[in-house]
Amino acid sequence: MAMTETFYEVMRRQGITRRSFLKFCSLTATALGLEPALAGKIAHAMETKPRTPVLWLHGLECTCCSESFIRSAHPLVSDVVLSMISLDYDDLIMASAGHQAEAILTEIREKYKGNYILAVEGNPPLNQDGMSCIVGGRPFVEQLKEVASDCKAVISWGSCASWGCVQAAHPNPTQATPVHEVITDKPLIKVPGCPPIAEVMTGVITYMLTFDRIPELDRQGRPKMFYGQRIHDKCYRRPHFDAGQFVEDWDDEGARKGYCLYKMGCKGPTTYNACSTVRWNNGVSFPIQSGHGCIGCSEDGFWDKGSFYDHVTNTHVFGIEANADRVGIAAAGTVGVAVTAHAVASAVRRIKQGAGEHHEENDKT
Amino acid sequence: MLTGVPTVKQTAVYVYQTPVRIWHWVNALSITILAITGYLIANPLPTLPGEASDHYLMGNMRFFHFAAAYVFIVGFIFRIYWAIVGNSHSHQLFTLPFWRRSFWSELVHEVRWYAFLEKEPRKYVGHNPLAHLFMVVIITVGGLVMIVTGMALYSEQTGLGSWQDHLFGWVIPFVGQSQDVRMWHHWGMWVIVVFVMLHVYTAIREDIMSRQSLISTMISGWRMFKDDRP
Amino acid sequence: MSVQTPNGFELDTSGQRIVVDPVTRIEGHMRCEVNLDENNVIRNAVSTGTMWRGLEVILRGRDPRDAWAFTERICGVCTGTHALTSVRAVEDALGIQIPENANSIRNIMQLTLQAQDHLVHFYHLHALDWVDVVSALKADPKATSELAQSISDWPLSSPGYFRDVQNRIKRFVESGQLGPFMNGYWGNPAYKLPPEANLMAVTHYLEALDFQKEIVKIHTIYGGKNPHPNWLVGGVPCAINVHEAGAVGAINMERLNLVSSIIDRTIDFIDKVYIPDLMAIASFYKDWTYGGGLSSQAVMSYGDIPDRANDSSAANQMLPRGAIINGNLAEVHDVDLRDPEQIQEFVAHSWFSYADESKGLHPWDGVTEPNFVLGPNTKGTKTRIEEIDESAKYSWIKAPRWRGHAMEVGPLARWVIGYAQGNPEFKEPVEKVLTDLQLPVSALFSTLGRTAARGLEGSWAAHKMRHFQDKLMANIKAGDSSTANIDKWDPKTWPKEAKGVGTTEAPRGALGHWIVIKDGKIDNYQAVVPTTWNGSPRDPAGNIGAFEAALLNTPVAKADEPLEILRTLHSFDPCLACSTHIMSPDGEELTRVKVR
Repeated sequence: MAMTETFYEVMRRQGITRRSFLKFCSLTATALGLEPALAGKIAHAMETKPRTPVLWLHGLECTCCSESFIRSAHPLVSDVVLSMISLDYDDLIMASAGHQAEAILTEIREKYKGNYILAVEGNPPLNQDGMSCIVGGRPFVEQLKEVASDCKAVISWGSCASWGCVQAAHPNPTQATPVHEVITDKPLIKVPGCPPIAEVMTGVITYMLTFDRIPELDRQGRPKMFYGQRIHDKCYRRPHFDAGQFVEDWDDEGARKGYCLYKMGCKGPTTYNACSTVRWNNGVSFPIQSGHGCIGCSEDGFWDKGSFYDHVTNTHVFGIEANADRVGIAAAGTVGVAVTAHAVASAVRRIKQGAGEHHEENDKT
Repeated sequence: MLTGVPTVKQTAVYVYQTPVRIWHWVNALSITILAITGYLIANPLPTLPGEASDHYLMGNMRFFHFAAAYVFIVGFIFRIYWAIVGNSHSHQLFTLPFWRRSFWSELVHEVRWYAFLEKEPRKYVGHNPLAHLFMVVIITVGGLVMIVTGMALYSEQTGLGSWQDHLFGWVIPFVGQSQDVRMWHHWGMWVIVVFVMLHVYTAIREDIMSRQSLISTMISGWRMFKDDRP
Repeated sequence: MSVQTPNGFELDTSGQRIVVDPVTRIEGHMRCEVNLDENNVIRNAVSTGTMWRGLEVILRGRDPRDAWAFTERICGVCTGTHALTSVRAVEDALGIQIPENANSIRNIMQLTLQAQDHLVHFYHLHALDWVDVVSALKADPKATSELAQSISDWPLSSPGYFRDVQNRIKRFVESGQLGPFMNGYWGNPAYKLPPEANLMAVTHYLEALDFQKEIVKIHTIYGGKNPHPNWLVGGVPCAINVHEAGAVGAINMERLNLVSSIIDRTIDFIDKVYIPDLMAIASFYKDWTYGGGLSSQAVMSYGDIPDRANDSSAANQMLPRGAIINGNLAEVHDVDLRDPEQIQEFVAHSWFSYADESKGLHPWDGVTEPNFVLGPNTKGTKTRIEEIDESAKYSWIKAPRWRGHAMEVGPLARWVIGYAQGNPEFKEPVEKVLTDLQLPVSALFSTLGRTAARGLEGSWAAHKMRHFQDKLMANIKAGDSSTANIDKWDPKTWPKEAKGVGTTEAPRGALGHWIVIKDGKIDNYQAVVPTTWNGSPRDPAGNIGAFEAALLNTPVAKADEPLEILRTLHSFDPCLACSTHIMSPDGEELTRVKVR
């Protein structure tokens, strides 16, 4: 049987020499804190090891993650699918359907027990007995748990799998639940965004294949390398923010000069993502560059943080919707009025009291 | 003063030691700067004309906010230290006599005094119970919340791995996300602003109407009593 | 036992029942069951939408200016079209006029979607129903090259090129790790292409995969990202600045040139790869004439791509508006989305309940309460359905009807209406295809006709992008750089109550959003989407929807391989996340059930 195209061969085809490949392997060994002798082992593994099977399940979602994934420019998604991983199940592009599709899950689970990656797009709903997302006549959550039980690691693609996203926005009628709340016993990587950037998705996958480990994650379980900083931190419009130059209205002079979109509700300062550096669709642009503020789509619960066009957004507590500034100004105003009234009342009382004391004094004398 | 009021014997107690008094006024200044710059960070001034390189308005605004925040935090830590080494009044800010019945009855009395239901306020060497309660809740607890949320937000720019991140980074996922922390920090500002308004008003009012000195006490440290009745 | 439906189809449930769940290579989750007679011909078809997310209940009480972002997340495949429909609905409700440039940019974005979505659908969601990947290994690269060069002057057509691709596929197949091609229906007798055509198609499958990502860069330029670009009530968010300092922060000459070059490349790819492949593949399947369903009798389109801004008349729409019923192409009826008598949704066979389920409701009055119950003849249990009972409720999709008729929507519907209206933009390409393939007009009403109409529309859309990009340039040259109207941006300027409707022709067909705004917030929001029309279950009268109708009378080569079923379903390009929606009349929280 002829060998499949291995990682090494892909790298060769992309113009990387054997010399650089070996250098890459020794650097990898160093990065992993291994002794240099192990570099040879890494090289050998990359030259020969079969492609890692990836089972890509879809729950309640809109398929934007898959659509984003196929936009990857480097590596090209055709290379990822044909040469880097073995995308054995993804109901968006797979040839088979029905029983034949379901059979793949069973086969991979048995054949690659503990060695395949489970990628989840969307999330399981728990209301309606889980039957608001049915796969093979059963609730999606069952399929998810079964496939997860034998996987090596889980990738939660996008904000649906990571946080819940739009179907989990208030009042979450289907009780759509993020994957990490259902699968708790496996290493899990969140790659949030609605959708995540294509090259970030393939970047995470190739990192795992290259270094044979899970990328370093932050507190919320996101890869630090792509979600370590806010969009604001690396935004090319940041100088306008620092200078105090803002778009004040759509299509105003500031908009035409590319000023900061902070006043238009841009969530760049509170959103951890790589949009302002990696940018979108092979680096062509990103929301802020195209004139619209960031809506914070990679942040937990971003749908329920008030309007996308407010900077000081509404706070929802106990079912009440309130804006801190409006309430604050009203409260300060009320207190100001109350204080004035109280001061007047106090003065009146003091005058009265003073007069009273005066009388008493007069009486004494 | 009305004419004809007889001179009353004033007794004096040394309440606020010099470091506490300095802390108070430094704190007042830092809170003022923090509130103004904070508000303007959330609601920036109108756009400035010209090149971005000509200005650094938001940058300065944020610098003053962070600088004042550090002063506030250092002051806060110092104040805790002083609560330990200072006189008996100095730890009032960190203790609430929750289980002391008289505290609550005095509190009620103080509220009634402000509601014009009591003819005469009681005398206190330190804070009156109402002020005491507000001080603990707003300045100590509120200050702590502002420090923790503020440092969490600050850690976003110092970055993962910074000491601010190690100490306060957990706050963001704990509260929800960055935007939530921002909102609560912003709400906190308004709570403090409203408190400051009440504090300044009552200090002036009580200085005039109560039986003890207030404003001058925070300058000289001495609590002067206007009469010698209990 | 056989039944006659009011819309003229015969259903017979006596034969062997085949279940396909999940139906793959579609957006979202869908199930299909059919009954085969003794000759393996489909005599009954049941299509079930198997997901819903409740987006419309989530929209209640929100800022109407934010609605586009929520509705855009209805679907990431036809990304942007729901957002455009939504901003149009809000603008209609509030009487907002948009600048001419905003109209051009929105049209370019919508056409970008049409071109890219149709291309991806053809190669990546549909082609494997016609193309046998494994057979491509047997092809002679030289003969493949000759075939390719005989149908197109696309430069990537040398024998060496095809040999490289073939070697790559060969190594891939021989690795034993077939990835997305695993368990495919390779070797099924329903595949008719010679190995060379298969190799050419597989090669272009990979080429199209790499190229489709280029087309969407237009969304990235005007909308900041794709999938899910940004939109704006009152115009478009991107400002234009071609003359002055600071232009680098806006849509400037470089950006406009980039759009222009992508448009040229898109036209090239579609006309030199997609259309020739489509024609070549179709020529081998000329006698596979199944899957017409409703297309020959009831089709509908709302119209889209307004030439001038703020003119919603049918004459101003470049994609046609109208409805054809009873197969009478001589008469195209006008469609009015505001008329409560025209569009109505029924739930007798959907997992929702109405007070009176024999009647339909217009979307502005739409109520939807979920009611997940299965019929008495269901095989299996509530959470383990083996066979569904279509005599009861059986889908998360509602059944919309136009004046009581089940309608087909989509590219074929649009092209049939354009053809019936005698519009040369539609009539001439259709006639050319029919002449080239030596087929009668009736061949249009089939699975392949649907696939062909989509291809023609992809090309049409690419060329129309050029029209609007040129129009945009001309308008900028004339001194108009305006992209947004902010007169009614502030909710204080809005009336206390307003109602609006927005429409587009999504890649999959007629799409409408109905909004009711009260006190500056969304009071009611309803979307009736293409797959709700096409994938609708039966209505109280027993009319079957387009999916079910199209599957009938199709012979299946191998009962255990649903290749023909997939072929016809895919020709509609189903989008299930779009089609399933729910609205609770009082927005109450539904019962929570923990499954752990």
